[in-house]
Amino acid sequence: MPDPTTVPAATPHLQLVNVWKRFGEEPQQTIAVRNVDLSIEPGAFVTLIGPSGCGKSTLFSMIAGLLPPDSDGSLLLKGKVQQDGAMLGKIAFMPQRDLLFPWRTVLDNATLALEVEGMPRRKARAKAEALFPEFGLGGFEQHYPHQLSGGMRQRVALMRTFLFERDLILLDEPFGALDALTRSMMQRWLLDIWAKHRRTVLFITHDIDEAIFLGDKVVVMTARPGTIKCEEVITLPRPRDPGVVTTPEFMAIKKELLAVVEEESLKTFAAVPA
Amino acid sequence: MARGLKFLRSAWPVVAALALLLLLWQFGAAALDIPTYILPRPAEITVTAVAKWPLLGNALMVTLIEAIGGFLLGAAIGIVLAVLMILVPPLEALLMPIAVVINAVPSIAFVPLVLLWFGLGMESKIAIGALAVVLVVLLNLLAGLKRPEADAINLMRSFGAGRVGILWRLQLPAAMPGLVTGLRVGLARSTIAVIVAEMMGAYSGIGQVIYQATGQVDYLTVWAAVFVASLGSLALYGVLVAIDRKLVWWR
Repeated sequence: MPDPTTVPAATPHLQLVNVWKRFGEEPQQTIAVRNVDLSIEPGAFVTLIGPSGCGKSTLFSMIAGLLPPDSDGSLLLKGKVQQDGAMLGKIAFMPQRDLLFPWRTVLDNATLALEVEGMPRRKARAKAEALFPEFGLGGFEQHYPHQLSGGMRQRVALMRTFLFERDLILLDEPFGALDALTRSMMQRWLLDIWAKHRRTVLFITHDIDEAIFLGDKVVVMTARPGTIKCEEVITLPRPRDPGVVTTPEFMAIKKELLAVVEEESLKTFAAVPA
Repeated sequence: MARGLKFLRSAWPVVAALALLLLLWQFGAAALDIPTYILPRPAEITVTAVAKWPLLGNALMVTLIEAIGGFLLGAAIGIVLAVLMILVPPLEALLMPIAVVINAVPSIAFVPLVLLWFGLGMESKIAIGALAVVLVVLLNLLAGLKRPEADAINLMRSFGAGRVGILWRLQLPAAMPGLVTGLRVGLARSTIAVIVAEMMGAYSGIGQVIYQATGQVDYLTVWAAVFVASLGSLALYGVLVAIDRKLVWWR
């Protein structure tokens, strides 16, 4: 049997080649994202970390197709170049806030994407109902979002993202607003779900522990204008249990990444408007 | 059964407040010795209202039909305009100034013209009622349709939703509270506009009854007409509360 590491790399699931985003015209131009090259293998869990305001969300919007990248770069999905807006509807995107619709029950919030795709309501509901126990929401189908806790709302939003069956999922700081305890529970739960469904995940965070704990690869972005500073492959064994964060291996990776991230964070403080 | 009880529970403060007001009026006016031609007593007014019920009931019916007709027509126009403006943004820039200019003049000012165009019958009152409603529904609904933030719209776009899909699944439901506010204010405005228009020229209706009775110095009938009109407004308010519950079901 061939060793999987020696097999020539398959086509990346997502590839960014020289992606830029500039806002405004020359003298007052702001560069949000600069020369980003990134590739994500199928089925990988990649975490992206960087100081706040580094253009992570701009990069995400471009990957989601919500914002066109500048014309000098390109975005490839499974090896095919994507023109402006072509990514819309091709990846499952979860924004920072849950954005649940207050007028829809939990069940109907979960089926939103399916309805947009034109699936009949009954079929969509049946499909979503099957996922409720796995997402820890059994019995809450008919509740309205305002009746749920923050962690539960986030799980509904994740379920909505999972039900939009695209094999690439973009998660933008999904646990950023949760308390530490809930957050660590959600992280383990997310890994379980990911292990079971095996989709490719790109996960933004500003929490180093989270980035290492979840990722196969941690990508560090620089301060604005954002570009990729370094990539660190995480070889910690899976499944990962919460104890892994206290192992010397974890600590070593964290120490290394912390130095890089700190350096970038300091730049955002020292930044003088040009 | 349970529903009737619920209604009683929510209605009793209104009934109690009205009863208290009428009692205070009845006995307060007597105690202060106010002459009945200046302030007739509620009992007298009620007796007059009952005695003149054929006239007043008919007038109330006419006024309610006109007010509701104007309200429905105006609300429909306002809703259609708001939706068009959201789907075709240049329309908003084009039509909004016109709407604002028309609205800068109180709708009552158009009564003489509308009477000239549509005659003294119900049509002119419905037109004036509609005019009084359009803009308030349009503005409130438009504000509601614009309420969803860019993030929510982007989420819908990322699912592949088009303009109509976003309108139907996001903007319209989000606009329901705003629409309800517009409808509430609109119905009150339509009722006022219709009654005033009736005073300026009509074959029937509460406003016309008030106008004629004033001419005959029959203030008891004027008061009776006001009482009947208040009862009608109360019924309309009940309809509105029901609409509110239907349109904003998730609260």
